[in-house]
Amino acid sequence: MSYFAAALAWLFVALALMVAGLGYPVAHLASPDTLVVVHVVCIGWLSIAMCGALFQFVPVLVAKPLFAEQWALPALGLLTAGLVALLAGFLGLGGRLPAWLWLLPLGAVLLVAGFGLVVVDLGLTAWLRPAGPVRFVLAGLASLCATVAFGAIFALAHAGWGGSIGEKLLASGVPLHAIAGLGGWLTLTAMGVSYRLLSMFMLSPDVDDRKSNMTLVAGALAIAVAVAGGVFAIWLTAGLNVVLPVTGAFGLAAIALYGRDVIEIFGTRQRRQLELNTRMAVLSFASLAGAALLGLALILTGDFVDHLGAFAFLAIFGWLSGLVLAQLYKIVAFLTWLETYGPVMGRVPTPRVQDLVSETRASKWFVIYHVAVWFGTVTLLAGHPSAFRAAAAMMVVGLVGIAREVIRIRRLADVARPLRFPDGACAPHLLCARN
Amino acid sequence: MTEYIDVDVRPILRAGGEPFSVIMAALARLEAGQGLRLYVPFKPVPLFAVMADRGFAHSEQALDAGEWEVLFTPTGAKPTASAPGKAAFDAWPEPSVRLDNRDLDPPEPMVRILGAAEKLAPGATLSALLRREPVFLFPQLEKRGYRWLGGFSPDGATYELTVRAPS
Repeated sequence: MSYFAAALAWLFVALALMVAGLGYPVAHLASPDTLVVVHVVCIGWLSIAMCGALFQFVPVLVAKPLFAEQWALPALGLLTAGLVALLAGFLGLGGRLPAWLWLLPLGAVLLVAGFGLVVVDLGLTAWLRPAGPVRFVLAGLASLCATVAFGAIFALAHAGWGGSIGEKLLASGVPLHAIAGLGGWLTLTAMGVSYRLLSMFMLSPDVDDRKSNMTLVAGALAIAVAVAGGVFAIWLTAGLNVVLPVTGAFGLAAIALYGRDVIEIFGTRQRRQLELNTRMAVLSFASLAGAALLGLALILTGDFVDHLGAFAFLAIFGWLSGLVLAQLYKIVAFLTWLETYGPVMGRVPTPRVQDLVSETRASKWFVIYHVAVWFGTVTLLAGHPSAFRAAAAMMVVGLVGIAREVIRIRRLADVARPLRFPDGACAPHLLCARN
Repeated sequence: MTEYIDVDVRPILRAGGEPFSVIMAALARLEAGQGLRLYVPFKPVPLFAVMADRGFAHSEQALDAGEWEVLFTPTGAKPTASAPGKAAFDAWPEPSVRLDNRDLDPPEPMVRILGAAEKLAPGATLSALLRREPVFLFPQLEKRGYRWLGGFSPDGATYELTVRAPS
């Protein structure tokens, strides 16, 4: 729960910055201000939420406890401290703070330590039973290592400690860092987790491992080509003109295969009535498909570089953030239910998980959020920074609503009074879960 | 083609006897590659895990009057070193409650199993059919001192769980 709370707090920070007009599209895509917003979103919000979800999810998948339960909190501390140092370093680069460039390598070291704990802990846990969705998680963790390694080299290079290799990588390796992070770490992991969550909540049979393997292989090849091929190309000073189209082709194949698998899960489901997290996940799948089509269209028209920001915005906020928010809503409800009523279940009447949530009230906030994201993408494509800020403000409205719903779940505010605290049940703490 | 040795433990059970030693004795007499065809008056779920540890896959077929014919086929896998001994499972009685939770929405199966488990007499068992491995249920059973055995049916569509109350 601390991970989810920290992640949501960072998402608010990012949206506040966007509403205030900091970073892209007001500033250039590679400007320090844009780097601040991008890293708040990708590390603060998405990576921390993903780590929190994986700490819950991987032990369930392998039916074994985490390798080291007690590492979770120090890892969160290191990640938070590292991110703050990194952001301060970026602000220094942009002249908004004194130029203490040593903050960047310091941030990198803290982030390497934090993500290192996460990778070792989850990796050793996942390795016990490397089947099904866990393979996606392992591929995601490998991509995370690549992402962090790139980031650390960039941080050293910014501080002037990177040597000629660091300079060379910083000059042309940024797309590789972004592909490994967004595509490998966040997207592959989110895909893996969604396979199991979707079939669990819709009572569908699991997707055949051979099919999900194809999706994984296509995705992993995209990342491997980008990382290994990209580094090789930079070493040869050949540019990324060959590597990026190959990566894109594998990436599109992975998204298409994933789409096929998701449609199969929906098609074979036993449960006709879909829960909110699944219905809202559909909106994020639409964004993923939209991002793939937009990327393809931009490449074909030769406008990809000009509209990279719009593409990344749709992928980050529509697909990844949308999926994480939808599943977060369900995960918090389920964990809260288990934490509060698990010990007394079967002994006294307990509420159902559905009694902890109010889906009709919550779904309107999700819809506002997604519409705002699509509106924001259009404003970016059309080049209207002020309209974009309005879209970001609308996203904040949706998000405040979602956060309020999540807090109500933690407080059991929607459970009918007589059932709320049966004998032996005790109220969950807002930020710390007991299980 | 696997050759099967027949073992019918229905008379032993009807007489109130204990069939485990008979089954294990028959197992010891099997030649390499031979399987076991077992006739039982109930589905012997706890036995499946024991046999799997010894390198046998099971497939079962319902006969009339709730009786079962179970084929144990050697898989060629080496028996695991820590195969649970006779003491661990031979005393599990026939389930006194049977639940079919396959068509319930999660987490309703878990609620029903815990509810039924609370009502079991000491040492009694219940069996439940599920669609997936009930991973969230296991810690709750553990906290309450229950033991359980479970596994997927050969087609992978049904998870069979047997829970035993602490005696």
